[in-house]
Amino acid sequence: MSVPGAPTAKEKKYDRQLRLWGAGGQEALETAHILLINATAAGSETLKNLVLPGVGQFTIVDQAVVTDEDLGTNFFLDDSSIGLSRAQKACELLCELNPEVQGHFIKDTIENIVKSSPEKLKDFTTVIATGDVCTDTLLSLDAILYPLGIPIFVVKCVGFTMSCRLALAEHPIVETHPASTVDLRLFNPFPELSALVDEKTAFINDQEKMTTHEHGHLPYVLILLQTLNEWKSTHDNQPPSNYSQKNEFKSLLRSKMWNADEENFEEAIAAVLPHFNPPSIPSETRAIFQDEKCTSLTKESTQFWVIARAIKEFSEKNDGLLPLPGALPDMKAESKDYIRLQNIYKSKARADLAAVVGIVRDLLKGLGRDGGEIAESEVETFCKHAGYAKLIRGRSLNEEYEKSPKAQVISNELSDPTSLIHYYLGLRAYEAFISEQSNAQRTAPGAEDSTVDADTEKLKKHVTELLDKLSITYSSELLEGTEKAIGEIVRAGGGELHNISSLTGGVVAQEVIKVITKQYIPMNNTVLFDGISSRTTVYQL
Amino acid sequence: MATTTVLTTESPDRWKYLNNILTRRGPYSDETFEPGDEPKAFLADLKIFGAGGLGCEILKNLALSGFKDIHVIDMDTIDISNLNRQFLFREADVGKSKAEVAAAFVMKRVRGVKITPFNCAIQDKDDEYYKQFKIVVCGLDSVEARRWINATLVNLVGEETLIPLIDGGTEGFKGQARVILPTISCCYECTLDMLTPRAAVPLCTLASIPRQPAHCIEWASVIQWPKEKGDLKIDMDDPEHVTWLYTKALGRAKEFNIPGVTYAMTQGVIKNIIPAIASTNAIVAASCCSEALKIATTASPYLDNYMMYTGDESVYTYTFQHEKKDDCPVCGNLPQALTVDPESTLEELMEKLQERPETTLKKPSLRTSAKSLYLQAPKQLEEQTRPNLEKQLKELMEEGDELSISDPGMPFNLRFIISFSS
Ligand SMILES: [Zn+2]
Repeated sequence: MSVPGAPTAKEKKYDRQLRLWGAGGQEALETAHILLINATAAGSETLKNLVLPGVGQFTIVDQAVVTDEDLGTNFFLDDSSIGLSRAQKACELLCELNPEVQGHFIKDTIENIVKSSPEKLKDFTTVIATGDVCTDTLLSLDAILYPLGIPIFVVKCVGFTMSCRLALAEHPIVETHPASTVDLRLFNPFPELSALVDEKTAFINDQEKMTTHEHGHLPYVLILLQTLNEWKSTHDNQPPSNYSQKNEFKSLLRSKMWNADEENFEEAIAAVLPHFNPPSIPSETRAIFQDEKCTSLTKESTQFWVIARAIKEFSEKNDGLLPLPGALPDMKAESKDYIRLQNIYKSKARADLAAVVGIVRDLLKGLGRDGGEIAESEVETFCKHAGYAKLIRGRSLNEEYEKSPKAQVISNELSDPTSLIHYYLGLRAYEAFISEQSNAQRTAPGAEDSTVDADTEKLKKHVTELLDKLSITYSSELLEGTEKAIGEIVRAGGGELHNISSLTGGVVAQEVIKVITKQYIPMNNTVLFDGISSRTTVYQL
Repeated sequence: MATTTVLTTESPDRWKYLNNILTRRGPYSDETFEPGDEPKAFLADLKIFGAGGLGCEILKNLALSGFKDIHVIDMDTIDISNLNRQFLFREADVGKSKAEVAAAFVMKRVRGVKITPFNCAIQDKDDEYYKQFKIVVCGLDSVEARRWINATLVNLVGEETLIPLIDGGTEGFKGQARVILPTISCCYECTLDMLTPRAAVPLCTLASIPRQPAHCIEWASVIQWPKEKGDLKIDMDDPEHVTWLYTKALGRAKEFNIPGVTYAMTQGVIKNIIPAIASTNAIVAASCCSEALKIATTASPYLDNYMMYTGDESVYTYTFQHEKKDDCPVCGNLPQALTVDPESTLEELMEKLQERPETTLKKPSLRTSAKSLYLQAPKQLEEQTRPNLEKQLKELMEEGDELSISDPGMPFNLRFIISFSS
């Protein structure tokens, strides 16, 4: 049985996620290729959460062979894997999750790849580094990928603690999924809307010429606009501006009710506070308009910047108004009146869109590019979200570590013993500890009971060195919070706890999906999680 | 003592990392925590229970947390739309019991764990059954099932018994995990008012003035189906039924020029589909199981008592202590206050109760201490009490009366002290 519009097998399988990111997001996911460095438990769990929703391809780089310890934390290895390549076995068991996903593996270290064949890295959509990767390698990866705009996630997961750092230079998001995109244009009605108000509300105060039924079914938008006209005629042509005027306006609305249960008037009264705002361009949108990439387009400008520039020019020609999104909330009304009102908003949105499309075409031609290279549907999506678009400017790992560390962010938090910045310092010390050792016989702090005390002292020393390097002053003794964070990290002996790895895999995969689909808003740029107090904090480092 | 046997049947290295946490005290560990073999042994002997839509994640996590004796209950069979997140199931498993397939998979993958599956509703098991567990972890998607297990565990509290309930739930990019120590900390029922009630569309809108695609779909299922199909119940999973509703809704929408009715939306509206993704399920289930491990071993302090996760805008968690309510119908001992209009009828009161999440019940029966106002069953008593539905409340009760509401879905009564609005 085939019904037009009935879902395909794939739509059925992915139904619950398509309701979040739609066909466009799914398409982006299915063409992505993820590189995972090291098949740790956290890394494998991250891939699990990307393979299930149907990421296109993944590749695991890992030189390790599977040990018994791996089996205690990683679900995507089994008894028969012991002694074999960890990259290969994890790849095989992860591929079982979704036949549509292609998995690959490379039995090598990332150090070797960075040194001998860095060009291979350019093929990936996103890179996720997990496990013990030393600082030099991380910074080399960053130096290769960051300028290319390939996002790198650096994930550390030790005991009850995890951190995830995203290095991504520029990330524009159009589909941020705001709760609502409604703009009723109450303070600047366009001619078609004003005409409808005049037509429908001429007898709003006349019980002879309007029936009770008609009065009780006037869409609240029209009631508000009619009452505003009335208000403005006695208030210097100004709408209510402050709280007390808005309350006065509500009383005026109430006085127009013919009986106590006219829901449409109740809806109008409830809409005063949320919708009575003078039109303005939100700060995030203004920042996009003022960005140099918007003000000076080049032949290489991406689609985002060309459309942003077109919308900027549109708003300059239209009294600072953004294109109308065109959405209308439900309201008490007769079907035909509601649909008519809805069509008036939609027609205006279409007219605004046509104007923006025209500007886009002209801009492209002016740049010597094909005027048709940007699809109208892309412009439409942007127009609908113009007031909700967001631009994230990230920082590279090299900036964080070497060029311009955010010492202030760290020092501000140091005296708070509950701050998660202590785990950041502890994990940086952990990284310094393993980076000091040669690849072959690397051991983690606290790997053996006998080394716990000595390793604790070493981590403390690494933290003080880091603080000195950042010129952060601290009392001679390290602060209590940092001591405790180091204590927890050494206690774990470099080991992962499956639950924390699994949670990490969820958090990282969710961020990867947001970045790949360019929908929703990813964190910028470091999230820390403490599994003891069950808290997260995001820092910009 | 044969205490450490289970953890050491595998290679001693297998649980090395978990053992690091169990054999070493951490800076935040409670004073009562005694690192060493004891927490390991306790973990291995402890019986734990898991259930719900997060079941796959929960079973994996518990097995890799060192729990050895796990029970799982799930009445559902595997559907194609589960495969994007319930990672123990494959296309060939569609139609099979979730509990059985999941249990078999995890036992095969993680050596030494015993998982006992039951293909039934959690309500099919009695107090004796639940008493055997030390911890219950639930990722149930129905409010009714969560209220039931919560009330059951609160009722079980006694001198020897206190079973922590760890509850998790997700919706899209958001989720929450919480720890409930029955009668000690805030319970599921205490926080029911946090749920936002689903705003019902007035029947007259559906019947005569539809404006939205959803109005057309609801018209098809609420009005047109019973009219044309009589007593036949809608099966939301039967594609023929869904197609019928979709076609009807489409016709309705065309008649009123309403754009936007789609098949997917039809399914979404009639099944009240909530978006669900692998990553959020992983976060919430892992958080729940991490708390189970901490409670079982005391290796680190546990969550007291609520964590909310929001992932659609950056990464945000809100961890806080939810307050226990003295007038909670399950774990409190005081009745709640309820103001009613004395002129309204009993039937109107019952409709009003449906609008509040804590009183949304399937088949409520109402009593005062003096008399039965309306009983849903048995049939004879239902017929006897039915005339009361038409009566005004002032004829049936007085101010200060205690109104008690019971429902076959709930193992407890809701108690209210009545006052009349003036
Ligand atoms: Zn309670």
